[in-house]
Amino acid sequence: MPKQLFVNPDEVRKSGWIKFQDIPVNQYNKTIEEEKANYTVEDFVRIYRDMVIIREFETLLQLVKTTGEYNGVSYDYPGPAHLSIGQEAAAVGQAFHLDKDDFIFGSHRSHGEIIAKGLSAIEKMSDDELMDIMKKFWDGRILKVVEESKRDYSSVKELAMDFLLYGALAEIFGRETGFNKGLGGSMHAFFTPFGIYPNNAIVGGSAGIAMGAALFKKVNRKKGIVIANIGDGSMGCGPVWEAMNMAAMDQFKYLWEEGYRGGLPIIFNFFNNHYGMGGQTCGETMAYQMLARVGAGINPEQMHAERVDGYNPLAVIDAIKRKKQLLLENKGPVLLDVVTYRFCGHSPSDASTYRTSEEVEIWKRHDSIVTYRKQIIDAGIATQEQLDAILDDVKQRLDRIYRLAIDDEKSPRMNLVANPDAIASVMFSNQRIEKMEDRECEVLIPKEENPRVQQIKKKVRVAIQDGKPVPKSRVYQLRDAIFEAILDKFYVDPTLIAYGEDNRDWGGAFAVYRGLTESLPYHRLFNAPISEAAIVASAVGYAMCGGRVVVELMYADFMGRAGDEIFNQLAKWQAMSAGLLKMPVVLRVSVGSKYGAQHSQDWTSLVAHIPGLKVVFPATPYDAKGLMNSALMGTDPVVFFESQRIYDVGEMFHPGGVPEGYYEVPIGEPDIKKEGKDITILTAGAMLYRALEAAKILETKYGMSAEIIDARSIVPFNYEKVIESVKKTGKIVITGDACERSSYLKEFAQNITELAFDYLDAPPVVVGARNWITPAHELERFFFPQPEWIIDAIHEKIVPLKGHVPSNNFTANEQLRRARLGV
Amino acid sequence: MATPVIMPRQGQTVESCIITKWHKKKGDKVKVGDLLFSYETDKAAFDEEAKVEGTLLEIYFDEGDDVPVLATVCVIGQEGEDISEFLPSDASAEEEVVSEGQQSVAESQGGTDIESGAVVPEGDSIKISPRARNLAERVGVDYRQATPTGPHGRIIERDIRQLMDKGQLVTPAAREQYMGTDGMLIGGTGIGGRVTTADLESVKGQAHYEVPQLPVQGVKAGEADYEEVKLSNIRKVIANAMHQSLANTAQLTIHISFDATEILAFRNKVKEYGERLGLANITLNDIILYAVSRTLLKHKALNAHFLGDKMLLFNHVHLGVAVDTERGLMVPTIYNADTKSLDEISREVKELVEACRKGSINPDYLKGGTFTVTNLGSLGVEFFTPILNPPQIGILGVNTIVQRVKEVDGKIITYPSMGLSLTFDHRAVDGAPAARFLQDLKTNLENFSVFLAK
Repeated sequence: MPKQLFVNPDEVRKSGWIKFQDIPVNQYNKTIEEEKANYTVEDFVRIYRDMVIIREFETLLQLVKTTGEYNGVSYDYPGPAHLSIGQEAAAVGQAFHLDKDDFIFGSHRSHGEIIAKGLSAIEKMSDDELMDIMKKFWDGRILKVVEESKRDYSSVKELAMDFLLYGALAEIFGRETGFNKGLGGSMHAFFTPFGIYPNNAIVGGSAGIAMGAALFKKVNRKKGIVIANIGDGSMGCGPVWEAMNMAAMDQFKYLWEEGYRGGLPIIFNFFNNHYGMGGQTCGETMAYQMLARVGAGINPEQMHAERVDGYNPLAVIDAIKRKKQLLLENKGPVLLDVVTYRFCGHSPSDASTYRTSEEVEIWKRHDSIVTYRKQIIDAGIATQEQLDAILDDVKQRLDRIYRLAIDDEKSPRMNLVANPDAIASVMFSNQRIEKMEDRECEVLIPKEENPRVQQIKKKVRVAIQDGKPVPKSRVYQLRDAIFEAILDKFYVDPTLIAYGEDNRDWGGAFAVYRGLTESLPYHRLFNAPISEAAIVASAVGYAMCGGRVVVELMYADFMGRAGDEIFNQLAKWQAMSAGLLKMPVVLRVSVGSKYGAQHSQDWTSLVAHIPGLKVVFPATPYDAKGLMNSALMGTDPVVFFESQRIYDVGEMFHPGGVPEGYYEVPIGEPDIKKEGKDITILTAGAMLYRALEAAKILETKYGMSAEIIDARSIVPFNYEKVIESVKKTGKIVITGDACERSSYLKEFAQNITELAFDYLDAPPVVVGARNWITPAHELERFFFPQPEWIIDAIHEKIVPLKGHVPSNNFTANEQLRRARLGV
Repeated sequence: MATPVIMPRQGQTVESCIITKWHKKKGDKVKVGDLLFSYETDKAAFDEEAKVEGTLLEIYFDEGDDVPVLATVCVIGQEGEDISEFLPSDASAEEEVVSEGQQSVAESQGGTDIESGAVVPEGDSIKISPRARNLAERVGVDYRQATPTGPHGRIIERDIRQLMDKGQLVTPAAREQYMGTDGMLIGGTGIGGRVTTADLESVKGQAHYEVPQLPVQGVKAGEADYEEVKLSNIRKVIANAMHQSLANTAQLTIHISFDATEILAFRNKVKEYGERLGLANITLNDIILYAVSRTLLKHKALNAHFLGDKMLLFNHVHLGVAVDTERGLMVPTIYNADTKSLDEISREVKELVEACRKGSINPDYLKGGTFTVTNLGSLGVEFFTPILNPPQIGILGVNTIVQRVKEVDGKIITYPSMGLSLTFDHRAVDGAPAARFLQDLKTNLENFSVFLAK
């Protein structure tokens, strides 16, 4: 909704037609003779070699999975093997013109792409560059294994080829000497020094992440293009469409500044093998008939969509060469429909009930390895003997690598006995990096000139002054605190960008970002489409490539729209990379009220359940700024909860108010907001203020002094303060706005029970929201915990309060009844 | 509509009762008059019958549970009815007593004092918070004596803090061994009255703490030649009371005998003519009770309570009568015995004895005595030393009748002689006044027909 764009009624109501251009279908028709000008003999032969390497690599896996042995050496591999036997030409063709600065992202069926891209990168890199990479990677550990297995490598490239194949196979076999120490495995193997970015076991999962990588390249002016390798089945996934749209957003053309203009440098490359597992995309599960048609639905350029014959490596090379050029001219994004076919099943357990053996046989007659071999022999480029020699070499090479990768001594697994924290230590990177890159930050005005900064200067940074509450209009609010932390970082970290729905001109739905627009160019702060999946996925891709990003989903309730992106992508890539990747992403979500069932949920428990995410929920301006500063200094994904109820509160607790300068509140440390001696109340988020009211009632009516601890963080969480408090009081109520069942409140209660059992005078009692939908605002007091609920729960479950008449039923029978009914 | 069955209040001072047996179980059909459960106070046993017909929907307390009076014990109704409202904590909420502890809460509220040890659940069934248990063990109080004031009958920290002021303390060294005893019998001699290991050792001897291993022929080593009998609640109370009596008073016993010719003659006359007059079957014991009730009025120091720094001298005689029952010794009280005729006393004693033996005695009759009479004479005992029932100052033991000789007018004659053994608390009364009381009593009994005319 930028003002410079005019929604002209005369224009939008005008009669007319949408015109489409023709979409090319397999238009490549050159012969080998014609291509001799474009390729050297070595190029032609190498294309064959690379296809054969992939074929042998996957045949090896196929045999191990189905017969339990390869070349007579048995091995039991229970993990996944989604093979692409038959699709080699498409992979090798794609990689031919790519170098290490071009990033590919894959799917569950991407062994071939890894190998093709790796071999292509090796071909293009100097020996020094290769040695440097291999020596540095895991401190040369993989290199050492490979070198010791065969000390007479004829060249660095030969060594690098073994390094690549061994690193990939060891990874698939879950060895600590794999590219990702075995924590990625078959469906997630990758090697970024060669431009090979993570494959993804979630169908279409790479679309949004790759788009984020392309965003990183554009915003930070990095070399190269990005390719999302996904299958035809993924065209049925909403997030893929979201990613394609976001990559093509109009604002790239019309609003972004000179030098940043144009769509994202990304190819959505659909390896169209005609089956989504067993579902036949064309004719059964999809409607496009030809996948390339979809490009026409995204933008006027139709995403430069094209169908390409993936069984002819030269056709694919030709297409990628042309499309890469388009992307470098800022004319992305591109959609490619690369026709291919897999001879093998979806996985080794696939009985191929969905296709006939005749169909497979006929495709085998088209086998690109066979036909291409014949073509180059016929064209006099290579002889039978030469190509047979290559085949022999490949077989020997893979036999050697196979034996090496299954050797428990040379290729051990992660030793969780000797090093029980090996996986735990890579769940978070826990680093402090002030700026992800060291260069000038692109901003529009000096920070001091920012109108919001000037407005905040006039505000009072405490809630109570001279014993009187400071009026809302003058008090420094929680939303100011978040703004201040983020704005500061925009002037420090040049890679930092922020986006989400209505982030720019509107200033964020709750006015946190008001004033940010004035300081930042479009490429650092922009409005995203209403595509929660793409918003989060792109942040994952952006961070994975080395940037820092703050994305916002407006309401916590909308996290459901980005479930895979938050739970499977944002949370997991640091660990699945064994710590190679960093994920400095702050995901801001707000917890609403007043707006009913789909806009008022505290979903901290959902994210707290997923390993790999940090979760914070500040309730005061001091904590909000300090925690945001910590989140923006760190390298881990932080889901940052904000409660809409308290965006306007001033600082009531921190002596001296909220400092103007930089400070951090450590993530994971709860804070005692009020000292007391008779009972502890542990709160999260906005519940702090209702707990304070409860404390007042306890004090005045029942003579009990309550100690109030604000959790501030949910994950991680240091229990020490809480345990100390419980040792003192013997009693604790844990309260927050999350629906009680299976909530983090219960998690707290459980841990406190175990950690302080001997000090407890009653079981820890949880007071959460009811297990209902959130009703209308006027009825919310029956849903969200109220101060009186805390009193009632104490009376019924912890210590009977003399003269107290409960208004809510906290009896054991009622608890049982509710559990029985599931409410 | 389901009907709750509450624990009846058996007397004003009873706070809780122990369920001794359930005759029905959850889900059973019950008819009006069916026996539901049996229960006992520390002094008497009762049965509760169903007053409505239906299904026993829920039972909130098990056998052995100590149930506060007026708490809901079980619910009778139709199957499927909602009975959540009858949960005992709700039912007894208004009865809830907040005890005074060191907690600021209780202080600010001025909680009611509760007699500790009044409601002691047995062994494992004690509900106590980990914190309360820890505190109890750390400071060495016997948490079994705590009065639970937490939710659902749980002993919580403040209950222990209350006990710390008045309950039994145990030294750390003695704790483990102490917890193996029932705890109530032992007086502490350590600092602050703490029970020490020495106290426990001394109790060992007294209470045959270790089972003696007798070299009996034919009994194989290790084979138990004894039967272990758990003490009943009443037995424990008696044990405690007796020990406290001996430990805390300065009692001694003096004996006298008198010529029972007159009262025997009187009794025979009553036997002969009493029925015509509608008199009760008056026993020798009744006669003695009557004589005691009158004689005491002249010896007020013996019809009194000794309270350490003061004495209460009663204007009327409330005469405790020791009764032997199956469950143990019980002492019902004849209130205002000094105002009652011999016939009235005789009838009342019979009623009280009967109620005690049946276990239906109203607990209010088991207290309030100012002097006690106990009789072992019917069992042929010639002299004994009764144990005081503090804070009473005197207890009179009545012995059997033996033939003795005396000289009358130079002739040796035999006469029926009856012994009286008076135990009194020397802290309250010296020997001479006590002896004068016995002397008066002897005179009154030897001249009973004249005395009766008074």
